[in-house]
Amino acid sequence: MAPDRGGLRLGDIAACFEGIVPAEIATASADGVPNVTHLSRVHMLDDERVALTNQFFSKTTRNLAENPLACVVVIDPTNYDSYRLLVQYERTERRGPLFERLRRDIDAIAALTGMEGVFKLRSADIYRVLELELVVAQAHVAAGT
Amino acid sequence: MIEPEVAEQLESPCSLLVGSVSAGGVPEATRGWGVEVLGPGRVRVLLAANAERTLANLEGGGAIALTTTNFVSLVSWQLKGRASGIVAATPADRIRYDAFCAGCLRILHEIEGTAEDVIARLVPVGIVACEMVVEQVFDQTPGPHAGARVAPVAG
Repeated sequence: MAPDRGGLRLGDIAACFEGIVPAEIATASADGVPNVTHLSRVHMLDDERVALTNQFFSKTTRNLAENPLACVVVIDPTNYDSYRLLVQYERTERRGPLFERLRRDIDAIAALTGMEGVFKLRSADIYRVLELELVVAQAHVAAGT
Repeated sequence: MIEPEVAEQLESPCSLLVGSVSAGGVPEATRGWGVEVLGPGRVRVLLAANAERTLANLEGGGAIALTTTNFVSLVSWQLKGRASGIVAATPADRIRYDAFCAGCLRILHEIEGTAEDVIARLVPVGIVACEMVVEQVFDQTPGPHAGARVAPVAG
């Protein structure tokens, strides 16, 4: 699938990846059953890839083993614009600098939300972004954008 | 199948996530904008009228996942089933939608401190209604039990 980012780059929406407003992710099993859940944070790695932390979203993980595509929606905390990303799973990291950086981030979120002992990073999953687009809302129509 | 506590949360201002999948296996995520529980296994979900991919996926009885999360407690449930129809929003739907949006804006402002008019930028262009036949309900509250099926109870 050729990338289609509609002129947008991940760097243009960097604020969405600060972990301030939770994101959402939809996956689907091989037999076409969707699953949708929140993500505490989506991490931008570069202009092509994002990383998602895997604590315990087991159905999401099982689905991605069967179907590597996922739809992620992130929110810019500065203006609440939403962006839709279609992503494709590439690989999983369970050690190394990226894993350690994300583990520290998860630990911080857990401490802030009283979820110590519940949020525990199992792996960092790397995804290639295939599509990126603004989710058009009433505010955009009213502004003529 | 839909326990009273689940129904109460569904019909309250809460986070509503909607998942669907295309015939080609491409998943899609969008938000819900209010729910009416029609019976033990039926709900009416309000969706953005311009959520074209979701609406295309759900037309003709597509599979649907609906996750509700309490903004404060993070208590979550995920309902899975099939869409049984997408129709224009009724006046009652619009009243429910307005109440849902107002409640969400108020709660999120209290939690996050973000101005309500900023959060309101999430509000969609318009809404349609999707009726969903619920086949399963899962506990989706963050933690080790997330994903456990709560209905139907295994016999």
